[in-house]
Amino acid sequence: MSELLIRNACVIDPLKGINAETMDIAIRDGKIVEDVSSAAEVIDARGALTLPGGIDSHTHICGTKVNFGRYMSPEDMRAGRTSRCGPMHATSGYSVPTTYGNSYRYSAMGYTTLLEGAMAPLEARHTHEEFLYTPLQDTMANTLFDGNWGIMEAIRDGDTRRVAAIIAWTLQAVKGFGVKLTNPGGTEAWQWGKNVSCIRDPVPYFEVTPAEIITSVVEANEMLDLPHSVHIHANNLGTPGNYTCTLGTLGLIPDLNPKRQTLYATHIQFHAYGGSGWKDFCSKSEPIVRFVNMRPQIVIDMGQVMFGRTTTMTADGPMEFNLYRLHHEKWSNHDVELETGSGIIPVLYRRKNLVNSIMWAIGLELALLTESPWQCLLTTDNPNGAPFVKYPEIIALLMSKKYRDAEFATIHPDTESRVPLPAIERELDWYEIAVMTRAGQAKALGIQDRGKGHLGLGAEADVAIYPIRIDETDPSVDYERVIEAFSRTEYTIKRGRVVSRKGKCLVDGNNATFWVRPEVSDDYDMEKDPDFIEKFDRYYTVRMRNYPVQEEYLNRNRCIETEAEI
Amino acid sequence: MRVTLAMKPAARSFIPIEAESIIPKNLLSGTDISVWRGNRELRLDEVFSVSVEGEADRPEDVEVVISGDGTFRLKRVGEYMDGGKITILGDIGMHCGNFMSGGTIEIHGSADGWLGREMAGGSIICRGDAADYCASGYRGGRKGMTGGTVEVFGRAGVFLAENIAGGVVTVHGDAGDMPGAEMRSGTLIIHGDCGRPAANMKGGSCYVYGTAHGMIPTFRKIGTIQHDGQMLIHFTGDIANRGKGNLFVKDYRYLE
Amino acid sequence: MIVKDVVCPFCGCLCDDIEVEVEGDRVVSVCNACELGTTKLMGEKRMKGPILRDGDGWREITYDEAIRYAADMLLSAERPLLYGWSGTHGEAQCVGVHMAELVRGVIDNTSSVCHGPSILAIQEVGHPGCTLGVVKNRADLVIYWGSNPIDAHPRHLSRYTYYADGFFLENAFRDRKVIVVDIRKTETANIADEFVQIKPGGDYAVLSALRALVRGKGETIPRTVSGVTREQLIRVADLCKGAKFGAVYFGLGLTMTPGKYKNIRNAIELVSELSRHTKFTISAMRGHYNVYGSNEVNTWMTGYPFGIDYSRGIAFYNPGETTAVDILARKECDAALIVGSDPAAHFPRRCLDHLADIPVVQLDPYPNATTAFCNVQIPVAVTGIDAEGTAYRMDGVPIRTRKVLSTDYPSDEEILSRMYALMQEERER
Repeated sequence: MSELLIRNACVIDPLKGINAETMDIAIRDGKIVEDVSSAAEVIDARGALTLPGGIDSHTHICGTKVNFGRYMSPEDMRAGRTSRCGPMHATSGYSVPTTYGNSYRYSAMGYTTLLEGAMAPLEARHTHEEFLYTPLQDTMANTLFDGNWGIMEAIRDGDTRRVAAIIAWTLQAVKGFGVKLTNPGGTEAWQWGKNVSCIRDPVPYFEVTPAEIITSVVEANEMLDLPHSVHIHANNLGTPGNYTCTLGTLGLIPDLNPKRQTLYATHIQFHAYGGSGWKDFCSKSEPIVRFVNMRPQIVIDMGQVMFGRTTTMTADGPMEFNLYRLHHEKWSNHDVELETGSGIIPVLYRRKNLVNSIMWAIGLELALLTESPWQCLLTTDNPNGAPFVKYPEIIALLMSKKYRDAEFATIHPDTESRVPLPAIERELDWYEIAVMTRAGQAKALGIQDRGKGHLGLGAEADVAIYPIRIDETDPSVDYERVIEAFSRTEYTIKRGRVVSRKGKCLVDGNNATFWVRPEVSDDYDMEKDPDFIEKFDRYYTVRMRNYPVQEEYLNRNRCIETEAEI
Repeated sequence: MRVTLAMKPAARSFIPIEAESIIPKNLLSGTDISVWRGNRELRLDEVFSVSVEGEADRPEDVEVVISGDGTFRLKRVGEYMDGGKITILGDIGMHCGNFMSGGTIEIHGSADGWLGREMAGGSIICRGDAADYCASGYRGGRKGMTGGTVEVFGRAGVFLAENIAGGVVTVHGDAGDMPGAEMRSGTLIIHGDCGRPAANMKGGSCYVYGTAHGMIPTFRKIGTIQHDGQMLIHFTGDIANRGKGNLFVKDYRYLE
Repeated sequence: MIVKDVVCPFCGCLCDDIEVEVEGDRVVSVCNACELGTTKLMGEKRMKGPILRDGDGWREITYDEAIRYAADMLLSAERPLLYGWSGTHGEAQCVGVHMAELVRGVIDNTSSVCHGPSILAIQEVGHPGCTLGVVKNRADLVIYWGSNPIDAHPRHLSRYTYYADGFFLENAFRDRKVIVVDIRKTETANIADEFVQIKPGGDYAVLSALRALVRGKGETIPRTVSGVTREQLIRVADLCKGAKFGAVYFGLGLTMTPGKYKNIRNAIELVSELSRHTKFTISAMRGHYNVYGSNEVNTWMTGYPFGIDYSRGIAFYNPGETTAVDILARKECDAALIVGSDPAAHFPRRCLDHLADIPVVQLDPYPNATTAFCNVQIPVAVTGIDAEGTAYRMDGVPIRTRKVLSTDYPSDEEILSRMYALMQEERER
């Protein structure tokens, strides 16, 4: 039995409705409990800001595409190298760090749970292998279904239950957590070097539209009672004028689930562009947010861009090729048979570049204009908009108009006429930041019932204590202090154990992986479906029996079983 | 100030010694610095007999003289050097003058690979030969040398001035295969022969006063020019890479 | 007993449809595999237990003694080299990286003598690729450049390209065109629709010429380039542009010939150029069944795919300097641990001279050419036969190899973990 008592913590715990109360937190064997014995180890928080462990609901940290980003970027690797020291292994890399680099840096910032945003089912084993070497966070993976042949065929046949059945089989086989659609239909078209223009443009050969894919998969997702909603990277990412396509996509979504949103639309910044080309490129954050504010069934995340060098990586192959033609830097692409694809290129976001300046402003606008922080979560789509180590700066920008103005003065001068940002006065408070970095994530991912994202009794004892007193800090002025505090916790506690202290990781760690197994009836068990088996054998290059990810690849195996309607 | 570093004979004579600490600026504030032999940290005086003559207030007034039998084992000497002088009375190991931005390095013998890698300023004079990747970039295809000068009196190895994006590189002897590959800007001058110069170049100027063997077929011949008293054939390219560089050769041969 | 869907631990094709018949602790027959795979799966005579060099002969020692010997050797070295790794499973490779980090040594894998240049090229310009099934289902044009699959990857043609069933091809065998580019007429060239014979060392020029032709800027191209006529170059460029889906597979004939990684870079840039016209992909024909896995493991753990030097604590990467052949030829290491490869069979003489001068420990099931240079050899189970673990196919698809029979041999991972534990204990003391 291990016991820990955190005394004098200034707690913000939005899921439990606690806002800046000074209290003690008792922990026994990795869980939050009522009280502990006098033998418990004691940490005196001295009134410092104490939050549930941070959760990143959309980041790229593990798997084939991330690792290829590392593989092709020795110049990025040498930018952030540390030696082995105590229990910490050596790390390398800035925008695509090694797994240990990701884990240690996230831990120093108080993050204890990470969702890998895109896992190709065929290569899932790779993602899970890297999870094993991401020791200080619990992990889960969104599984890609955007170009899945079986699903597109079922949609063409009007059989949504079969769509659900294929998702169910695949999720349990690859130990996936959520359903991800990346440029639905576009990744299949890209295997012919083509793309889809928006949601009504049919996919070559399969003759289903992105809109049909989205609506069927959303319906199937709810049939399976999955904890998370469908997680979408909409069509047309990054193109001027794409906001109409984004609105069209969001408009497809009914409100189907009382517990959480029905659609999680990720990195919306990249989908909120006006203009007919790069010359009249402008922000369309306002129409997007107006739409979201009226629809509780939608949750978005920012996909904030920050200036500097980074690496873009996504399953959206055609989008990356367009970026390559724009920048003419190195370009990688990796199509995955019968399923999806991916692309990678390095980029440099420059303050002096008008388009980049507008992108920077749009992300902030989305967060500031969305009324409820539960509906707009803080991300950079790491590392696409910026490496996650920039989160503290983003928090400070959202909390301080003064800081925003100071930064605005350094960007391209024409930005002012293209974006609403300068007129926005709102400054987010500590509570709202806590929602946008943990509580909102837990709710959106549907893991608050698993003890994530809050400090209620029985919750996982994942706690972040930041070296800042909110009663003594005015974030709208002291934004430098805010940045410093969120960059390095005083203590990061994972499952009741101090894993990192003032930026130094103290233990080797042992992550848990959350995955979902929907229980379906025999009729919908694809394992026994002759047509599914026959197609698998003929067109995949891996045998069906060798496809599932074995449990050997899970460190702490946290299977979530759901009752499907099929 | 003159700092003399005479290498002591060593038993394990082939393990490289990484000595990026040997730059005038560091020696200005004393000789209590370390070098590394493999994974072992050693004091400077464990590897060298150290003597200091005179005084100086700024790196520009410091000259470091390195001598001894094993100097070819010393890597990274002069890395990030920004002023002063380093003289090597013999051969020098890899990565001499990496990232250098000012001052002078003079090598009386030959230099091993990556001499002046990613150099930004200052000058390097190599009296002997320079091995592969002289004045080049790092892995990953970013910019190579961006400024300063490198002059090699002997021959140069393969991939001379790869990815060069500024500065001047002069080789008095022959160069190996593919000098100036991926050249973006700057000037590369080869007085002898070489193989396949300026492959995939984007910009910059490359002069070959000897014969270019295995000439890349995607350069357009423009005419001839007089340069330094010699008649040279002027090409532009590399067309395969949408390049607008200039390649001047005395003579060339395609691999037909 | 018959075991189905066995994963073949021979080449980068990582065929996973093999059937193996087992009797006791022996494989008695193999179905579906090529000759190379069958030979490996049937096994040869393995070494019984660890051996230590003793004067001119060998002495049997225990596993404990052998592991202790290796740990001490690595701990006392100033620049140990940990080399090989392509012939073992990923889990063992991970332990290897931790060991290199702990003793501050150099860890390198066999890509430094095969597709290392391909990796350097990818690091300059990226890699437009895909999994093998994408090619199987779509490609109407396949180009083998400097590779001879019939010899080196015998089932590549039947499982993934020429003879394979393809979803979007009505009659795959008839509808697919094959171009072979090589310096000599290989067996694979015999089945090609178009054979392009290049003079040795001439690949780079041909690739540049093709890039210019695809751009419509062919006017500077001489009558012949490296022995290939202008007419044939135009024909090949047109075939490429006219294809619906083209796939290039290159081998050591392009990677290890003059220009090395610049050849690959040029080929990748040709494919990127073609991607503006149609769908095109390019991939390396990786040799060992898990050499790609070794690149992957090294990358997520160290940031670099091969040739990583931890001498200074942080990872330093510079192929040509931190790679095994270069280090051995320059006598820059003072101990070597060899796992899952046989360097003595492939390395230049100069390297072997140094290998003979320093202490060497090898983990390998069989006596091989490197045995002659070893101070200690530790026999281990064979991944894919009596040990299981992860391997990455040449296209990056990870597959868990199966254990088809049980023996008393420990796996590479087990031996290395014990070695690492001893080393950690020693360092913490």
